[in-house]
Amino acid sequence: MSNEFKRDGSHLAYCPPVEKWDDWVELDPEAWPRRVEKHYSLVPTICFNCESACGLLAYVDKGTGQVAKFEGNPMHPASRGRLCAKGPATINQIHDPDRVLYPMKRSGARGAGKWTRTSWDEVLETFGARIRKAILEGRGEEVMYHVGRPGHDFIMERTLQAWGIDGHNSHTNVCSSSARLGYLLWHYADRPSPDHANARFILLLSAHLESGHYFNPHAQRIIDGKMAGAKLAVMDPRLSNTASMADYWMPTYPGTEAAVLLAMAKVILDEKRFDATFVKNWTNWEELEVAGFRAKGQSFEALIEELKKHYAQFTPQFAEKESGVKAEVIVKTAREIATAGSRFASHLWRGSASGNLGGWQPARALMLLHVLTGSVGTEGGHNLNAWNKFVPKTFRVPPPQKRWNELLYPQEWPLCTHEMSFLLPHFLKEGRGRIEAYFTRVFNPVWTFPDGFSWIEMLRDEEKVGLHAALTPTWSETAWFADYVLPMGFSSERHDLMSQESYAGKWIGFRQPVNRVLRERSGEKFEYTYQANPGEVWEEDEFWINLSWAIDPDGAMGIRQYFESPYKPGQKLTVDEYYGWIFDNSVPGLPETAKKEGLTPLQYMRKYGAFEVTRDVYKQNEKPIAAADLAGSKVEANGVVTKEGKPVGVMVEDKPVVGYKTPSRKLELFSKTMADWKWPEFTLPEYYRSHIHRSAQAASLGQPAEDFDAKYMPVVEWPKEAQGEVYTLLPIFRLPNLIHTRSGNAKFLYEISHKNPLWVNPVDAKKLGGVRTGELMKVHTEIGYFVLHAWVTEGLTPGVVACSHHLGRWRINKEDQVERMSSAWVDLKEVGKGQWKMRQLESVSPYESADPETKRVWWSDAGVHQDITFPVHPDPISGMHCWHQMVRVEKAGPDDRYGDIFVDTNLSFAVYQRWKALARPAPGPGGLRRPLWIPRVMRPEEAAYYMKKS
Amino acid sequence: MRYGFIIDNRKCIGCHACTVACKTENHVPLTVNRTWVKYVEKGTFPNTRRVFQVTRCNHCENPPCVTICPVTAMYQRKDGIVDFSSERCIGCKACMQACPYDSIYIDPDEGTAAKCHFCAHRTEVGLEPSCVVVCPEHAIIAGDLDDCDGEIAQLLAREPVRVRKPEQGTRPKLYYIDGDESAIVPTAARHESIYMWAERNQNVHGGGALYPPDSPLLQKNALAAYDVSHARPWSWQVPAYCWTKSIGSGALAIPAIAMLLGRLGADRWRDVVLSTIALLFTALTTVLLVWDLEHKARFLRVVFTPQSKSWLARGAFILIAYSGLSGLFWLGSVLGISAVTSVLLWPTVLVGFFAAMYTAFLFGQCEGRDLWQTPLLPVHLVVQALMCGAAVLTMLPSAVGGSAPVLSVAKEALGFTLILHLLIVAAEFMMPHATDNSAYAARLITHGAFKNWFWGGTVVLGGVLPLLLLWLAPSDFYAAFAGVLALAGLLIFEWCFVMAGQSVPNS
Repeated sequence: MSNEFKRDGSHLAYCPPVEKWDDWVELDPEAWPRRVEKHYSLVPTICFNCESACGLLAYVDKGTGQVAKFEGNPMHPASRGRLCAKGPATINQIHDPDRVLYPMKRSGARGAGKWTRTSWDEVLETFGARIRKAILEGRGEEVMYHVGRPGHDFIMERTLQAWGIDGHNSHTNVCSSSARLGYLLWHYADRPSPDHANARFILLLSAHLESGHYFNPHAQRIIDGKMAGAKLAVMDPRLSNTASMADYWMPTYPGTEAAVLLAMAKVILDEKRFDATFVKNWTNWEELEVAGFRAKGQSFEALIEELKKHYAQFTPQFAEKESGVKAEVIVKTAREIATAGSRFASHLWRGSASGNLGGWQPARALMLLHVLTGSVGTEGGHNLNAWNKFVPKTFRVPPPQKRWNELLYPQEWPLCTHEMSFLLPHFLKEGRGRIEAYFTRVFNPVWTFPDGFSWIEMLRDEEKVGLHAALTPTWSETAWFADYVLPMGFSSERHDLMSQESYAGKWIGFRQPVNRVLRERSGEKFEYTYQANPGEVWEEDEFWINLSWAIDPDGAMGIRQYFESPYKPGQKLTVDEYYGWIFDNSVPGLPETAKKEGLTPLQYMRKYGAFEVTRDVYKQNEKPIAAADLAGSKVEANGVVTKEGKPVGVMVEDKPVVGYKTPSRKLELFSKTMADWKWPEFTLPEYYRSHIHRSAQAASLGQPAEDFDAKYMPVVEWPKEAQGEVYTLLPIFRLPNLIHTRSGNAKFLYEISHKNPLWVNPVDAKKLGGVRTGELMKVHTEIGYFVLHAWVTEGLTPGVVACSHHLGRWRINKEDQVERMSSAWVDLKEVGKGQWKMRQLESVSPYESADPETKRVWWSDAGVHQDITFPVHPDPISGMHCWHQMVRVEKAGPDDRYGDIFVDTNLSFAVYQRWKALARPAPGPGGLRRPLWIPRVMRPEEAAYYMKKS
Repeated sequence: MRYGFIIDNRKCIGCHACTVACKTENHVPLTVNRTWVKYVEKGTFPNTRRVFQVTRCNHCENPPCVTICPVTAMYQRKDGIVDFSSERCIGCKACMQACPYDSIYIDPDEGTAAKCHFCAHRTEVGLEPSCVVVCPEHAIIAGDLDDCDGEIAQLLAREPVRVRKPEQGTRPKLYYIDGDESAIVPTAARHESIYMWAERNQNVHGGGALYPPDSPLLQKNALAAYDVSHARPWSWQVPAYCWTKSIGSGALAIPAIAMLLGRLGADRWRDVVLSTIALLFTALTTVLLVWDLEHKARFLRVVFTPQSKSWLARGAFILIAYSGLSGLFWLGSVLGISAVTSVLLWPTVLVGFFAAMYTAFLFGQCEGRDLWQTPLLPVHLVVQALMCGAAVLTMLPSAVGGSAPVLSVAKEALGFTLILHLLIVAAEFMMPHATDNSAYAARLITHGAFKNWFWGGTVVLGGVLPLLLLWLAPSDFYAAFAGVLALAGLLIFEWCFVMAGQSVPNS
């Protein structure tokens, strides 16, 4: 193992050598220049802020036993010892004076803010009994786990399947579902893993130099690629920091990205710059049927001619007209992409995909560029997340659940990639079901989801939600409406196994409770992590194990067996055993590497915190079919190799290879799935207009344009009081140093950013009556309004306004709930049925707390909450919430105050109905609820996929 | 060995990781920063760019903060790191005025100066500074500039670099690859009351820099999208100190000159009164100086452990010498020993001129305040002291030496010194300024936040009006009134001069 962490040509190290991690001596910066020695133990863990799962190194002061600071873990292959601002800020989070330290139970009415401390035993007993009863009575679907901050899947899905319930809900449909659909239609894997470091041309429809999955690891590789000569192009209506770093900033009008990408494809096709061999070998072109053309039996050249004909309308001039990006830039970048060939990397995340109706089309059109350039699976090209993310197996895997939960995957959206989570309040309102026991896990839908007031209405209704526990390290707007608030640890206070597709390699990282690990190293023993953590902060792993025992104490329900030790039959599973088994048995290479150091695999992971599994990740589609699968297989007419009726590979150039996990085992240029599931017009990558397109804006004002097609989008109906010019609001950009509502407890992060003004281009500022920076603006949505300050900037496409979704936290109680440095104290009133008004009573000001620094909080603002004024916009195909909002903007009136919010949830329910009507519901072929081949979280058994005949 | 930094803007993504890592490593409190990332947006849509600039101490080869520090609290190590000792620091904030880069702050817990010190406590144990370690892009490179095989020396050899404000002669050792004019030049970007995701902190001590929206130094369409505010270090005590010092140091001068010219004879009571004024105002000067220290109890360190190049320390000795001489002079006059007063008069007056003038050398060490570095300042301060001496003389009651010839001398001297003062002020503001920094400050005085005080207070009330009174209404009463006005006008001028000088952004 390398024991020197030094860069070439530096005599200084970027990390102490591993052999000194147990007792590292540093000089106290506070006493300096006096030389006062401090002794630290260095323990690796994983950051808990964004999804990237970067490696942290906790410096535990041996004198106090407390973590003194966090630096990067150089042994982590994805983050390589480097971090973004949120990594070191973890120290603020664990020392947050307002954090929840003990399990709390509501003592007044829901949402009244009265809490008393309770014990973990009482919590386990209460929930164990409720869940046990629900499962025994056949009401398993009334138990729901709803995750915000992901990364805990390794134990969670196993737990729910052990309980036999279809109860996993997530945040993914407000996050990334549309991009996922675009990718999975091509190659089953639903996320890209670009090899930026080795690329020659990088195209980002994302802001990966400041945010996104996976910010720090990807930002490192993008700049590595750029420094090695790659050109960078960024498509974003807003000048992100990423766009600032680009060689080409292409400020597309929101929702028109697919038009630009298809125009690029047309350039590459017309100029014969595509990789014909790749397209011929690796797409399902022979299946293509479009506008009377059937590729089967025709030549490849005929197909190309047909494609050229099909995309003929996407001239660069047309794309310029739609998007605002100059035609010559489109042509130039298309040619550069073609020149980069197999070394063309890209990423699309959030932004155009998450903002727009049909946001899955840009991902699909982007993939077309990769397919044409043959840059799929290549060094420097586009790779599949599944090839770079490592998913280990666990012992004694429970069988898939037999049931299908319609609250998660309802019939209307059979192609939704993930649970229709943001519609839950509307589903309950429609009487589609109820929830007996609801776990929200680091999840704050009241704040981060659209239509938060509908969530409040749902959460406070004890008929609809029987018992609600918020598993969270901090108070949140949602926890406020829970029955129990159960403190779960931050990055240095819990276990998790993490892996992400960060670069051309596969790795796992191990998050661990630092204090427990250190104290156990010195001989102490703890039964539960909360005994070593601050207060009684626990971790979910042990919580689920113990809750499962509480549900099934004698093992009669068949649940307990999955939570028994794989080594000591009948005994309760420990976390050491759970991860120890995985490290022993299902991480290739780890046992051997550990052995070289004289360590067990678990000891190795506890010492180093991360392990690189493999670097052999390119072109996994070209791997030969395993001998076991090949034996007894047969080749179908279309070249697919099947075994017992299931596809296992495909013949390419007469060789049986595994291919992709699509029905054709190839990249699906033509999606038969789309035709089968009632969307025949979208069998090829297409461009269709977003709900905020100018034609839709005109329609909202009663001036239907010729190109507005009501079949694809609803006409916006403005509330009576909504006045002002119509704009598109971009509400979903992240700031580089905040992460949703999880960073409000970090003073050093909030000191840098604490305000989310409305970005307005100077052209529009003039149009709106001479708006100046700092002036108060009123933004009307379809269901209400919010009032905030203007930020006049040249960094935004005219006709568009923008506001970051990272700020605007609020609290109902003056002194507690959300941290006072990151929230406004508000007066929240329901002034009529479903009519909610919020007004700031007091914004941020210095205050007394256990941290003397809170007296120094100098900022007086925490922003304005915009998401709560948005109605739900479920994409009729991907199911994704289409975040961009058509809004009307005007200068605020005399009665408007900064931070004012009004929403009518009756209107939001009506908007939901209008969007729902666009969907084309199941059943699909054969009475299916959902195509069998596309991925689903916590996949039920196959029989559950078929709808019961009514 | 010479430690230095390279900030490679080809790689910096403006993520603020360095800012936060520095804060957690060095326990830097809220409200202050050792390093931060300035953002400037430039251009017009769609030809727009946001520029990021990691901004911090430059570890200058010729660090003005070290030169000015009266007690060696700021010091340059052998390896080139400019370090500080909060245990030695008296909190005089002179280093903050000397730094042309806004790199130094007063730690709100300690009341002492602090800044980036290259994480010297880490380099000592062989570790890179925490900002270097955390940076996702390795955009911050730290190392020995003299080590030809080192990464930093090689980059420096191969890449075009630039530094902040080379014109200050500080020879920074922090080099920017792809540094941008709009961010490097502190006065180039427009600042609004808010930034793209933050407020502009106007609650820092003194309110921070001033950003007039009509500044002619603004680069077209350059907008500060994120920045950090910096305290205006010196408060009202410093202009008040300048003023009391002028009165104290010039008190004996006018009669002495008049005696030399044969216009006046010796006068015991006049000597008693004027030397009392000299003593009192010099004492008041010292009180004000100590008052502005963050660590008042440490003020004697300036005398007992002085840093000899600092004009703050040197000034303390000059003030001590002047106090001693004027004290002896006072004793001589009270006891009526004319041998003492006649021998001590000119030494006292001359040391008084030095007492008046040394502040110009102190201000000259303030590389961050170009307005104060005017070469006219030594002369101007002597003229101010003479003017104060004349003004005091106009008010001298007849019982204690305010005879008709004395008052006549006083009027002439006041008129003469006022005209000189106004001429110097005019020269100061009408001459082109050598740097943007001083032009910006001068404009703040003549056209900006200080314009009403300057034109109304210094020019009209304290300049033109007393001159008119002396010319048109030459009675003793109006002359004394003119003296009061001149003194008031000067106090206002000192305030404008000290505050405007500190209101220029240096980063």
